Amino acid sequence: MTACIEVRGLSKVFVKGKREVVALDSLDFEVADAEFVCLLGPSGCGKTTVLRVVAGLEPATKGDVMVHGKRVVSAGPERGMVFQEFALFPWRTVRKNIEFGLEIRGVPEAERHAISSKLVDLVGLEGFEDSHPDELSGGMRQRVGIARALANEPTVLLMDEPFGSLDAQTRNLMQKELLRIWSATRKTVLFVTHSVDEAVFLADRIMVMTARPGRIRETIPVSLPRPRDRTSPEFIAVRGKVLAELDEEFEKAREKELSPD
Amino acid sequence: MPRGRAMMVRVRDSVTANWMRLVLGLISVVAFIATWAVVSDYLADTDSDKSEYLPGPGAVAEAFVKSFLEPVPGFDDIRMGDMVASSLIRVFWGFLLALAVAVPLGLAMGYYRAAEAMGRPLVEIFRPIPPLAWVPVFMMVFRSFWGPVSIVFVGAFFPILLNVVFGVRSVDPRLIDAARTLGARRGAIFTKVVIPTIIPYLMTGIKVGLGVGWMCVVAAEMMPIQGGIGVGYYVWASAFSYSMYDYTYATMLVIGLLGVLTTGVAEVLEKRVSRWMGMR
Repeated sequence: MTACIEVRGLSKVFVKGKREVVALDSLDFEVADAEFVCLLGPSGCGKTTVLRVVAGLEPATKGDVMVHGKRVVSAGPERGMVFQEFALFPWRTVRKNIEFGLEIRGVPEAERHAISSKLVDLVGLEGFEDSHPDELSGGMRQRVGIARALANEPTVLLMDEPFGSLDAQTRNLMQKELLRIWSATRKTVLFVTHSVDEAVFLADRIMVMTARPGRIRETIPVSLPRPRDRTSPEFIAVRGKVLAELDEEFEKAREKELSPD
Repeated sequence: MPRGRAMMVRVRDSVTANWMRLVLGLISVVAFIATWAVVSDYLADTDSDKSEYLPGPGAVAEAFVKSFLEPVPGFDDIRMGDMVASSLIRVFWGFLLALAVAVPLGLAMGYYRAAEAMGRPLVEIFRPIPPLAWVPVFMMVFRSFWGPVSIVFVGAFFPILLNVVFGVRSVDPRLIDAARTLGARRGAIFTKVVIPTIIPYLMTGIKVGLGVGWMCVVAAEMMPIQGGIGVGYYVWASAFSYSMYDYTYATMLVIGLLGVLTTGVAEVLEKRVSRWMGMR
């Protein structure tokens, strides 16, 4: 296994007025090529910050992020990102949203069209190519988000609670769809979520984060074969283990919130 | 089935609603013209010394038609069409200049805090001054053509500027993040995220600016400067110099109709642009 993403001693401090908030405290982890890793933690633990630093949207205060041995200094098309609020361009059609990165790279129109058509098929948006985002349901919008990120042929897919704003039914469907797309494209996926169920359903490995300041508390491999059955005793056992880890962190976070400082 | 029926009722409702709107609108227009005719006739019948100031609808309609076909009173070779063209060209230049200055300035003030800090005090001081307050000085300095143009410029400038600043501020930071992860740098972010975001705001600025500009040109032209023609000038001259009040009202009607036309064009343009951009 070769490391695709390497994070070494990553710290992130936000300055809010005169106060300094330590969001991440010397994080270390690796994600292997074609691995699906979920970053799980209580809200406010900085899991989204990890993703934003790896994406190059946010500079690290200390430490290094390497992708394929290259230090991350800014955002780049080899790291595709999928956002919780979709972040689609409302004035562009589905096809034009998917082709955004290709336009930036100066790919000729005929080629762009061919690539976006293939992606439309892959994510199941046939017939909606000329629709605008506001005509689509949440699940459909996130399909566009995924296709748009894949258009640049990134080696890494960074997903920030991509199904967080979807209803439970759509969410389950989109998880299955994502696994189908993942097995078809074999991208390295770093997936942020606060849903234990989602993490156990999707991941090869789950990294549970501590409450602020964020660290990796525990890494739990999930070796269940896919497709996974949420009602199987094995699934429930892994779920229980992850939940126990998370519960402890949740308690700590609550105590911290209640204590005077 | 209940759903289908409800929909049919709604469609029929909207058709009758459109008819009703038309009929109601006509009723009020007819009532207005009738009242006008009655008052005007009454003044004439009672030999009021004010009667010449209010010619009847018929006389005004006649003046309206004649003003386009024959030279208007006071002139040998100038018709209403020439007056209109003269005013429109001033609005056009004033508006174009306002656009050329306000858009880059608005972008700078929206983008850079320093530009905003520098521009804000001047904007706050000059914006509350009605554009018409500039009429005396600008007309004296810039005379019959560039005078009204400069007033239109002042009037159209602020709506455009403020809307562009507001548009830049409204750019969704999440879309900038998305564009960056897709490989966009400063230039592409500007052309592919910022510009599409501000276009609807710019269109609003253009619509408001055109309306204000049109009022400005009429007011500016009323300042008696040698050698000027235009609808604003003729509203003034037909009354004060020639006492042809039917022509005064006819010119006012022309101004009103042109205002409706300008706003209408701006609105169609706005809808076109937003449909083209996929925002309904």
